[in-house]
Amino acid sequence: MSALREAAAAPDARPVRSSARRRDSLMAYIMLAPVLVLLGTFVVWPAIQAIYLSFFDWSFYTPSQFVGVKNYADVLGDDRFWQAIGRGLVFVVMTVPVSLVLSFLIASLAVSVSRRVSTLLKISIYIPSVISGVIASITFVMIYDYSGGILNALINVVGLPNQAWLGDPRWALGAIALPAVWLGLGISTLIMIAALLDVPQSFYEAAELEGASWWQRTRYITVPQIKNVLLFLLVTGFVASIQQYELPLVMTAGGPQHATELPNLFIFNHFRKDTYVGYSIAAAMLLFAVLGSISSVIFRIVNSEKLVD
Amino acid sequence: MAITQAAPVLAPTTTETALPARRRKKLTPSRLALLALKTLAGAVIVLLALFPLAWMVISGFKLRTEVIRTPFQFFPDVWEVQNYVQILSDPSFVRTLALTGFGAVIFTTGSIVINSMAAYAFARLEFVGKRIVWPLVLMTMFIPGMTILLTSFIVVTKLYMLDTLAVLILPGMATAAHVFFVRQFYLNIPSSLEEAARVDGCGRWGVYFRIFIPLSKAPFVVVGIGSFMAYWNSFVWPVLTITNPDLFQVQQYLANFRGERSSELGLLMAGSALAAAPIIVLFLIFQRQIIANIKMAGLK
Repeated sequence: MSALREAAAAPDARPVRSSARRRDSLMAYIMLAPVLVLLGTFVVWPAIQAIYLSFFDWSFYTPSQFVGVKNYADVLGDDRFWQAIGRGLVFVVMTVPVSLVLSFLIASLAVSVSRRVSTLLKISIYIPSVISGVIASITFVMIYDYSGGILNALINVVGLPNQAWLGDPRWALGAIALPAVWLGLGISTLIMIAALLDVPQSFYEAAELEGASWWQRTRYITVPQIKNVLLFLLVTGFVASIQQYELPLVMTAGGPQHATELPNLFIFNHFRKDTYVGYSIAAAMLLFAVLGSISSVIFRIVNSEKLVD
Repeated sequence: MAITQAAPVLAPTTTETALPARRRKKLTPSRLALLALKTLAGAVIVLLALFPLAWMVISGFKLRTEVIRTPFQFFPDVWEVQNYVQILSDPSFVRTLALTGFGAVIFTTGSIVINSMAAYAFARLEFVGKRIVWPLVLMTMFIPGMTILLTSFIVVTKLYMLDTLAVLILPGMATAAHVFFVRQFYLNIPSSLEEAARVDGCGRWGVYFRIFIPLSKAPFVVVGIGSFMAYWNSFVWPVLTITNPDLFQVQQYLANFRGERSSELGLLMAGSALAAAPIIVLFLIFQRQIIANIKMAGLK
């Protein structure tokens, strides 16, 4: 349709248009040049190199040698890689559901109080999100300190003995999940608040007239209404969480006994130790593949449930 | 939790006759209880969210022997400003803060300028190759960080950029997400505004500089804060690319400090608090725009 209309308008419009278009093109590329050059040099080129180098035995000091899929085979045959992926999934289970539930509850509270209180809530919950991973790590290491940290002081009150939160493989991953949730809660809560404000108020009024409880309103109105946002937060939360490595890098460097060596930290540590980068890059590519496929599975599961409803 | 228990009392109090008077609800005991519960829940949330930061700031006021001590004590016996004074009179710390701030300002300015120019081109100009270039730019958003972290390091090494300010500033400056965000904003600027300006004799560039830039305060704030934060908080990239202590960035400095002078915890906490302060202040100044932006970014 629009093509037809354009064709009809074309005869007298064409000369003007094409010269304007040429001027536009020149201006456009002048304006685009910095972004295209920088993205090309520091994103696209490294990405192409990553694909390329993953098939080579390459280091800074020796000529590269084509090895086919050997790097990939090495990674796939390496138990430590799979353990790191498994640990990443455990970490996701520790962080994402907690974040979703907490941000839903906080958002529910924030939309039901006065504007001023709601602003205070939003600001306080968001402040941790602007803190760097390093500062969060330093602070939480203090909180977890064996002899003088507040966490052990708190559990002593209930009569439990001190724990080496970061030194004990049983606790270490959880001890990293806590600051991860703390850092990430702000943004998911604010997105959730926006979603809750979008649910038509009339639905709740009708439900109240029917005498529906908070739980019923949540179950039958709120959750179905904000389903897309929940799905969005679930997938982005998953992707962000499984890629976390700054916190364990600073807090534990992956220890004790690799208990906090999340996938990206595994790759990063490997990269720093091994001058042959092919393995590390192949591992990063594989992680990307695993990540993409799990995200799409989550997407499909949640979407198919939607069809059943 | 609090809400779950308290909410059911809401239902019986609303009757059909109550509709006109809905706005000023009567303060029945059950409503009062609900209000109290909500207030309590809100206070707990605020306290928990801010606790680690408060703990950091307070620890900065403690003497070396006090920071970690048994039995645990939250507040110091005597509030000592000594740590804050000492770290602020350490030339290496001050230089690090100044240098990181300097880099962050250049990075932020550059990021606003180049990303918004690209956004304008994608939003408003018809140019040859747009259908190829735009998806390519968008695609860069989905390249996983770790994959290109490794090869970016190889690229900057080959470009002889290690241990320069350029290696900190240039690689992250162009960001597809920022281009996308500003473009989205520009698409919503009515084209009638642009046409009116062109009738008045404004050229394409004039439209950009006189119409679009003055209207861009909100997206510029968002991109600016995002870029400043990304630069100020970055840790892994400086660790990989900067080995000269004179060029250390603030997060790197703190991590190093923690490794090398681990006994001086009060000092470390004071330094961390000071390093977190600029970003918190920036956020508080622009919180309205930042929070509003998250509403916009939330899927729609």
